[in-house]
Amino acid sequence: MARHSIPANLAALATVRQLVTQACREAGLDDAASYRLILAVDEIATNIITHGYQEQGSSGDIAIAIEAGEQYLSVVLEDTGIAYDPRAQGMPTAEDLDKPLSDREIGGLGVFLALQGVDRFDYQHHDKVNRNTLAVKLPQAKR
Amino acid sequence: MSLSTSVEMKGREAWITLAGELDAAVAGEFRQAIEQVAEQKPEKLVLFVSGLQFMASAGLRVLVFAKQQMGREVSIYVVGASGPVLNTLQMSGFDQSVYLQESYP
Repeated sequence: MARHSIPANLAALATVRQLVTQACREAGLDDAASYRLILAVDEIATNIITHGYQEQGSSGDIAIAIEAGEQYLSVVLEDTGIAYDPRAQGMPTAEDLDKPLSDREIGGLGVFLALQGVDRFDYQHHDKVNRNTLAVKLPQAKR
Repeated sequence: MSLSTSVEMKGREAWITLAGELDAAVAGEFRQAIEQVAEQKPEKLVLFVSGLQFMASAGLRVLVFAKQQMGREVSIYVVGASGPVLNTLQMSGFDQSVYLQESYP
């Protein structure tokens, strides 16, 4: 398992994507599945940085653990920002997604894209640590 | 890789070319480009995005901002979106509000 720690600021997002890109390549994921995972991790990390830390006026780090198991490539993000389950925010409905842009609320799409893009998502809060797990199936697991 | 943004007025059309990676860290640059061209009261907004390798929801939010800033009568064209960027636009239902084209005009 590869472990990394990045500062919880938006400028570090590019580093997060690089780490996940590298792991996807090593795990043999195809481009489409890799992009889905990279986007999902980027969106959840963005939420942690903006809502978990910055809006609370606090700073900190995000610990990233990446593991290729038998079935899934998993990315685990741990932070000590405010407790926040991404699933708690309602998903946009089909009606919301059909709305013209001129009538749209700004926001809400990041978590939607993240959760749509991965094959497995889990959130836990334990001992003041938020743990978001995002995973996509590995090619051999699909057989 | 960061974002590169270039802006050009072609008559009543505002052309913006985006390349690189559009995430929450740099979406403000795109938003500034929109604000800059909105002042010219364009009739059309044309976004050339074939060089865009990554787009997060922060990019979608700027598109919503663009529509709301410029008014619903201003048509938005997104030109040359790569597979994953196109997929994100379609999943989010933006294909109903912007014209997705392979080339322009």
